[in-house]
Amino acid sequence: MSNLNKTTISMIINNENYDDLTVETRQHLGDFLRDLGFKGTHLGCEQGACGACNVLVDGETVRSCLMLAVQANGKKITTVEGLNSSEMEIVKDCFVKNNAMQCGFCSSGMLMTTYEIIKSKRKHSREEIREMISGNYCRCTGYQAIVDAVEDSLNKINVGM
Amino acid sequence: MKSPAFSYYQAKDLADAINIKKSDDDSIILAGGQSLLPALNMRLSSPSVLIDIGSINELKKIKVEGSYLIMGAMCSHSQIMNNKEVNEKLPILNKLLAQVAHPAIRNKGTHGGSIAYGDPAAELPAFAVLVNAEIILSGPNGERTVSAKEFYKGLFETAINSDEILTSVKYPINQNGMKLFFDEVTRRHGDYAMAGLVGSIKQNNKINEEINLVFFGTGDRPNEAPKTCEYLLKNEYNYSDIKDILKNDIDFASDVSSSSDMKAHLSAILVGRMMKELN
Repeated sequence: MSNLNKTTISMIINNENYDDLTVETRQHLGDFLRDLGFKGTHLGCEQGACGACNVLVDGETVRSCLMLAVQANGKKITTVEGLNSSEMEIVKDCFVKNNAMQCGFCSSGMLMTTYEIIKSKRKHSREEIREMISGNYCRCTGYQAIVDAVEDSLNKINVGM
Repeated sequence: MKSPAFSYYQAKDLADAINIKKSDDDSIILAGGQSLLPALNMRLSSPSVLIDIGSINELKKIKVEGSYLIMGAMCSHSQIMNNKEVNEKLPILNKLLAQVAHPAIRNKGTHGGSIAYGDPAAELPAFAVLVNAEIILSGPNGERTVSAKEFYKGLFETAINSDEILTSVKYPINQNGMKLFFDEVTRRHGDYAMAGLVGSIKQNNKINEEINLVFFGTGDRPNEAPKTCEYLLKNEYNYSDIKDILKNDIDFASDVSSSSDMKAHLSAILVGRMMKELN
C-alpha cells in the first residue's frame, strides 16, 4: 500500500480528457476543478450545506466539496462550463429572463440542480421545485425568481407533456 | 476548511479492505463520504488512511431473500429510492429517504455509511432500531450479525470493532400487520431534524395491541420510549401527559437547533400526529 499523500489521476471534464494529473489525496474535487481553471464551480461552505459547488459526476449531481479528486479518477465530470445542451441553453436563458440571479454565486449550483430536475422528465409543482432546490442556498433572490425560472424552463422544454 | 493530509487506498474487494483496516488502527472506511468529508474539512477527524470501498460492486446490491430486504452497504440513497422492490416491500423507506439531505447528497451518501456512522439525528439508524434490522459486519474472522437494538451504544458509538466493516443491513419485510409511521420537524427541508419519529402500531379490531416509538435528533442515539408506548396502549393521546412521560423515557439533549424542552415538545407533537394518522 502506498503511503504517499499524492497520487496520479485521469478524468474527462466537459468532454475533454485530462490525463496523469498529480493531486494531493486530501484535495476535494471542487478545489481540483478550480485549480484546473474551471472557476464556474463555486466553493461556499465546503461542508455540503450550500450547494454552490454542485457538479455532475457520471451524469449525477454531487457536491464537489464532499468528494475527493482521487474518487473521481476515471469518471466523467461536467461543470457549469460544460452545461451546453440545447435544453440547458433554454434553462440559462430562463434564468436570465426571470432575474433568477443577483450576485451569481449560487447560480452554477442552481443550474446543476435544475439539470437534475429536467433530467427526471416529469412536471414539478412549485412546491416540488422548492424541495429540489432546498439543497442550494441563495442569499439574494429570496428564491421566488429561481422557482419562476425553473418552472419557465420546464414549460419551455415541454417536460412531462 | 481544508482536510488534513492522509493516504488514500482504493480497496479491490472486501477481503482487501478488511486486510488494510486490520493493519492500521487509524484508518477509516470511506463509503459515500457525505458525513466523513465535512468532518475532515472541519478537521474533526485525522485518519492515517482512507480506505475507499466505493468500487466494491458486491456491496452495491439490493436483494430480497426470504422475508428480508437486504441493502448492500454501498447502495446510495438515490439508488434505494429508485428501486422498485424497495418501493413495493418497504415503501416507508422512500418517504424517509426523501428527507435525508438533498438530491446531490443522496446520490453519493450510502445506506451502510449512515447506519455505521450512527448520527443520533439521522433517520436511518432510528428506522433500523424500530424494525430491529440485522446489521452484518465482516472482519478478519468472518461475518457476524448484530441486531439494530444492540448496535447503537452511545454518541456516534456502535458495536463495530475497529477491524470490522459493515457490509449489509437486513430488514424484515413482513411487519406482522404493523402500520409504520415517519415524520420529523426540520428548519429546512433536508436538514437534520430538530426532532423526528419513526413508529409502528399493531391493531386487532381497531384496538391497539402493540405500539413502538423510536425518536431521532433527541439524544445521544436512536431513542426508544417504552413507558410512553405502554401509556398509549391504555390511554388516549394527551399532549401534556405524553410530554411528561417522554421525559422519563428519554434524556433529551439540547443542540444548536433547539433546547431539550423544545425537543420534548416536538416529540410529543409527533406522537400526536402518529396516533392520528395510524388510528
